[in-house]
Amino acid sequence: MVDTAAPRAADSDPAPDSAWRVRSRRVWELTTSLFSNPTTIAGLVIVVLMIAMAVFAPLLTDANMPDPYQMPRDWETPRAPPGTPGHPLGTTNNGGDVLYGIIWGARTSLRLSLIVVSLTVVIGVTVGSIAGYRGGKVDEFLMRIVDVFLSIPELIFALAIAAVLGPSFRNIILSLAVVFWVKYARIMRAQVIHVKQNEYVDAARAIGDSKLRIYFKDVLPNSITPIVVQATLDMGNIVLIGATLAFIGLSEAGIAEWGVLVSEGQAGISSGRWWASTFPGLMVFLWALAFNLLGDGFRDVLDPRTETTR
Amino acid sequence: MTLTNTGPDTHEVRPPGAIASVVDLKVHFQSKRGVVHAVDGVSFDILDGETLGLVGETGCGKSVTARSFLRLVPMPPGIAVGGAIHFRRRRPCQHCGGDGCELCDGLGRLPEECSQCGGPGCEHCDGSGIDNVDLLSISESLMNEIRGDRIAMIFQDPGKALNPGLTIREQIAEVLYEHRSEEIMERAGFDPEASNVTGTLVRRRATQRDRRPERILMSVPPFRSRRARLTRATDEMVAEALTETQIANPLKVMRRHPHELSGGMKQRVMIAQALACNPDLLIADEPTTALDVTVQARILELVKSLQERHQAAVLYISHDLSVVSQVSDRVAVMYAGRIAEVGTREQIFSEPLHPYTQGLLAAIPSGSHERGRLTAIEGTVPELIDPPPSCRFVGRCPYEAEQCRSADPILASFEPGHQVACFIHSPEPDSSLDQPSFARKTK
Repeated sequence: MVDTAAPRAADSDPAPDSAWRVRSRRVWELTTSLFSNPTTIAGLVIVVLMIAMAVFAPLLTDANMPDPYQMPRDWETPRAPPGTPGHPLGTTNNGGDVLYGIIWGARTSLRLSLIVVSLTVVIGVTVGSIAGYRGGKVDEFLMRIVDVFLSIPELIFALAIAAVLGPSFRNIILSLAVVFWVKYARIMRAQVIHVKQNEYVDAARAIGDSKLRIYFKDVLPNSITPIVVQATLDMGNIVLIGATLAFIGLSEAGIAEWGVLVSEGQAGISSGRWWASTFPGLMVFLWALAFNLLGDGFRDVLDPRTETTR
Repeated sequence: MTLTNTGPDTHEVRPPGAIASVVDLKVHFQSKRGVVHAVDGVSFDILDGETLGLVGETGCGKSVTARSFLRLVPMPPGIAVGGAIHFRRRRPCQHCGGDGCELCDGLGRLPEECSQCGGPGCEHCDGSGIDNVDLLSISESLMNEIRGDRIAMIFQDPGKALNPGLTIREQIAEVLYEHRSEEIMERAGFDPEASNVTGTLVRRRATQRDRRPERILMSVPPFRSRRARLTRATDEMVAEALTETQIANPLKVMRRHPHELSGGMKQRVMIAQALACNPDLLIADEPTTALDVTVQARILELVKSLQERHQAAVLYISHDLSVVSQVSDRVAVMYAGRIAEVGTREQIFSEPLHPYTQGLLAAIPSGSHERGRLTAIEGTVPELIDPPPSCRFVGRCPYEAEQCRSADPILASFEPGHQVACFIHSPEPDSSLDQPSFARKTK
């Protein structure tokens, strides 16, 4: 972090400062600077709406029992345009309600991105930390593995893995996890190598702390912020790539997933039935955009290297 | 890769009053162009309760010598450490409990008995009966017991030596958790030896060895009050450590993060952290270089007064002769990885023997100088990559002779307590003694 050396020690705050107050003040400062940027607010609003939609999906629609993630099929009214009673956003060729797909698709997307991001962050941070902190041969070995993963383009690699494993939603999660962890490993390794050269790490050794304790006390907390930024950006990217894989047909057919919906609707586009592809496509776009805006906002606030124009 | 001690001086009898003896210390670094002999055969003693000033210009190996005491030299690119640093551990005097009494000469500490003979004196302890450990060869766990507890270090730039993400309280408490957990428990009214569930929980909390489930357990009612007692005890001890450094408003400073403090305050925090466990030896690596002059004077006074109170020995490293002349009892002058001259402060400053020391003293600007003229030592510091077997000061020395270019002078006694490595003062280098160390080492 940048040492601003602000002479704030002199300020006269009569209330006794508890550690909790110090921390909440810091969180407050970060939050206010985060929300001084209108694009970040826009991103956050969309993200909150999307997550609310995902969380309250069973209240917004009648869940399709027994498996609510399967699209309900209304064989009476296939290819209904938007505005049809009972189907405000129309239906697909197979009578799937587009609105239902969008709402439960948000849930699918949230599930996908949360699982993949938490898996990849855990794996990436662990591998990157070991490589960066231990250094030497261990570092060399782990980073060569990372290089192998990085040498193949993300989408192609995920596609290949998902294709080998067979078309299912779980396999999409697996394949994305396999592809995305390397990014975190690289970022974390670079951060750890940078942070461990700080003199406070030497100072911690000079007071007799063990290496593991120094890692958890000094190195990890001071190197995690770029991971937070990357994770936020990836929340969007993963849904984008997940939808792509689903569009190609690597997901189970008929589930409420935006990529699957787009692919279901694409046959009708040439005959003027634009709605079945457009609405879910728009959702993917909004989701990716929102998380990117939010991630950029985080980066401006958390990363001292980017100058904020506040 | 560690050098074996081949020099005969490794077993030289060390003065009984020395708390630490550096013997033929060598630290080399691997660089692309060759092996850098950053520290090349340095020997000196730090006596009990004294301040030894280590002076030398940038890059002469002062900081590397200091860091070797705590084994903080990074091991790549550092490739070889040779020699030994003998350290005589102390323990609190059982008679007075650390306050100082006749038994311990007011030091509050007694030397540990030799682990080999238990007192009467043997070869291991040079007949002194006092335990000594070689800081360069002991295990990492024993080293961690000594670090921060028996030997503490103050770093050059306090702004970089404090973790920006932790409050001052947390950083000072860290030393206490590591070395003074029993005192924390006693203060909080717990028995440090208790073996029941509560005792174990409290002990693990006081040493910060507790895991997440234990923390949750400690936050629910029957244990919550115990945790609060521990926290209060720690707070008290941290506040006491800070008060010692005469920092303004210690209770408030405790809750601050480093970026909210000024440089002088941060250095006081570093000093509080270093002295929290009452160490036997304090290593101050240019503690005032990053501070401005007025703050510098206050910090120097503080270090001196605290040293007198705690009776700790101090290794004070600086490139600033005026600072060294203020704080030190004895002075060692380093040049290009070697000790050029060692003596008391009076000896070094009133009758310097080594041409380098003389040049350094002449270079201090004074009022009598003509305006605009500064004296400097001619030439530049030699490269320390695979140095030739000659005196390191060759090329800059006004008294250079043929002998200086072909042989390396060793540190020899000139008068009691005053040693110098120069052929002017000891014309005959004793060839049987440890001669140019690099000839022996370089592979």
